[in-house]
Amino acid sequence: MSRAISTREILTSPIMANNPVAIQVLGVCSALAVSNSMQTAFVMTLAVTFVLVFSNLIISSIRNFIPNSVRIIAQMTVIASLVIIVDMVLQDVAYELSKQLSVFVSLIITNCIIMGRAEAFAMKHPPHLAVFDALGNALGYGLILMGVAFIRELLGRGTLFGHNIFTTIENGGWYLANEMFTLPPSAFFLIGVMIWVIKIIQRKRG
Amino acid sequence: MAFKKDSVAGTMVFIIILSLVCSFMITGTVEILKERKLAKKREEVQQFVLKAADIDISQGDFSELFAQRVKPKMVNLATGKVTEKANLLDFDERMASINPETSSKPKKDTAKIKTMANDIRIFEVYDTNGQLASIVMPIYGKGLWSIIYGYMAIKPDLNTIENIVFYEHGETPGIADFVTDPQWLALWKGKKLFNEKGKIAIKVIKGGAKDGDIHGIDGVSGATRTGVGIQRLVEFWFGVEGYQTYLHTLAAEGK
Repeated sequence: MSRAISTREILTSPIMANNPVAIQVLGVCSALAVSNSMQTAFVMTLAVTFVLVFSNLIISSIRNFIPNSVRIIAQMTVIASLVIIVDMVLQDVAYELSKQLSVFVSLIITNCIIMGRAEAFAMKHPPHLAVFDALGNALGYGLILMGVAFIRELLGRGTLFGHNIFTTIENGGWYLANEMFTLPPSAFFLIGVMIWVIKIIQRKRG
Repeated sequence: MAFKKDSVAGTMVFIIILSLVCSFMITGTVEILKERKLAKKREEVQQFVLKAADIDISQGDFSELFAQRVKPKMVNLATGKVTEKANLLDFDERMASINPETSSKPKKDTAKIKTMANDIRIFEVYDTNGQLASIVMPIYGKGLWSIIYGYMAIKPDLNTIENIVFYEHGETPGIADFVTDPQWLALWKGKKLFNEKGKIAIKVIKGGAKDGDIHGIDGVSGATRTGVGIQRLVEFWFGVEGYQTYLHTLAAEGK
């Protein structure tokens, strides 16, 4: 069966048709928490991409040696080590940002997307396919995260990546910032709307 | 002998190897980042000391400014004497305060810090003419939930507060944020630590300090306990267990 799927399909299907956040509804916790600004969303996406790609690569390359009885433990060990490394590197290169992301970087360990891909894909496929699968899923996750962050930051603060787009009334402009968008509940609505839109597009395509 | 991955021995071997490889990955990263982390910590200390001494660091190189204007010193709290120590910028205060060899239990632990270092690193800050402008002293103690860390700068009269900063705390977000609020910290400027009798008199007052009160700082409603914690830690560090002996020594020297 694995022969039937092309590399291209592995890479592109998680972006829309099988999006990990919108369709499989995995990894929503972090998507809600760090999507209030573009910058945190972008860094979070990078962190998840790194962990996902390397965990899939490592697990897929050792998949034939992993004893069945401890496979989840083995996956967790690899993922946890990678997350610790990401956390340390992030604290080094972007200390302020790592403070904003706080606990959510360490929580990548429990992000179901990563566990899910390791168990469902990397355990059964060769490394190069696993890397494509990881990239596809990371893109799918990043797309939703950045999309939600785009709307939340623009409407909530009138900025994008911290740059002024709409000048708010506080700063003498015209835009009345909708503070609801800076709070976590707004991400629920936005992700809900996104799931809806993606499903409609999917149905039209058949 | 073929490797049987699902046998007990195979599982054991696999897990041991995997754990070893992963731990090497992590320790390797730590080792690579170690130097940079130290440098970063050094910079952080420099920044906060300069901030505490109320020196503008928004322009120019603060490391250079620090080298020109600030002189770190180790002080033994019990004797009030300066002790010699090399490489003061890399001194690890947290480690020193819990290491049994370099720390002791305070007799009356009003700041609730459990153990404190015997030798404390302080900073003498000089103005552009080379005159002593202020002395920056680390202070820390328990607020409501967490240990609050900061620096207090006092003027050469050893009584007037030059400035105060807190750089780390885990108090309630949104309510106790005033701890790092420049507006609230500015209230401390020019207040007197001690009264005429030489007793520590600084108070964080619930409901706000009266106008002209030279010892009173406005408390913040909703965060009374954090305020009390800050008052206690200042009292502690400028009391008998803290810098009192050193301050007396300085006063005797007529600085």
